[in-house]
Amino acid sequence: MAIVIRKLEEHDEAAHFDCGDEPLNNYLKRHAWTNQQKTAIGVTYVAVEQSAPRAVLGYFTLAASSLARERFPKKFVRGLPPYELPLLLLARLAVDRRFGGRGLGHALLSEALQIALHIAEEVGCRCLITDAYRDKTGWYARYGFQPLGEAAAGGTQKMFLDVRTIRAAYGRAETER
Amino acid sequence: MPSASRKKSSDPASQTRSKPRVRKTKFQADLAPSEDRMVRHLKAELEMTSNSDFLTDALALFRWAVSERKRGHRILSESATGERKVLLFPRLERVAPEVNLPQAEIAWTPQEMESLAQLVTGKPAEPTEALVRAMRH
Repeated sequence: MAIVIRKLEEHDEAAHFDCGDEPLNNYLKRHAWTNQQKTAIGVTYVAVEQSAPRAVLGYFTLAASSLARERFPKKFVRGLPPYELPLLLLARLAVDRRFGGRGLGHALLSEALQIALHIAEEVGCRCLITDAYRDKTGWYARYGFQPLGEAAAGGTQKMFLDVRTIRAAYGRAETER
Repeated sequence: MPSASRKKSSDPASQTRSKPRVRKTKFQADLAPSEDRMVRHLKAELEMTSNSDFLTDALALFRWAVSERKRGHRILSESATGERKVLLFPRLERVAPEVNLPQAEIAWTPQEMESLAQLVTGKPAEPTEALVRAMRH
């Protein structure tokens, strides 16, 4: 299976996408394109097979965000730079369940991390944040994501990955090559 | 039947009430030959003779579909073997409630802010093997 990961395009076929989670299916089918093209609040990347380049097998969405310095607890403010803290949100990541267990999630996250590093190098970004379902926190933890506080009542857990850690991982990967 | 019920009422107001005038709207549609054939075929299958009945039933079905989608319900068919097909009809999707729109502005609890501040001001974690592998591609 030759997989290509690229930006979502208008005529990509998502009607049959089913990751087993309705909000994630619904987001891809109804909002991803609008949010990318019309309102420009998030960019979605899709995994497609080369032989069927329009059928979406998996996707993730990235969005930029920031946190004002004043919002942090006072005892930490002094250790923070005197600017807003730029963040990158991994807002969505899902794989069609018919293609689960083939490393597609790893490939998608890998691409998201490469993009995060690129953004950090080109524009500046302090960390990658995701809001993971509780049963997926272990999977994210394998990649070094750390939990922030306790899981929300809605069942999601905010998780953090430092860009410096991603950079160090990239350095190690390059030297091992 | 009691004769009283057959008597004409002398009250003009009650006469008006007993014969409500229903205003009917004419509905005319330009159909492509294939659509016309489809209407005829469906009418035959459903044993309908008039276009009005056909339109009334179609309208009732469409109205139900809109109300279901408005409530966020999905419309699906299920075969005898349990295979399900979800109806995806772009016009219906317009009335479905907006759910889970991404927000670049996310809500943070004080606990999460404290945790984030600690991580941001502290030393970065060592990369895990999975992370190094992810950066190899």
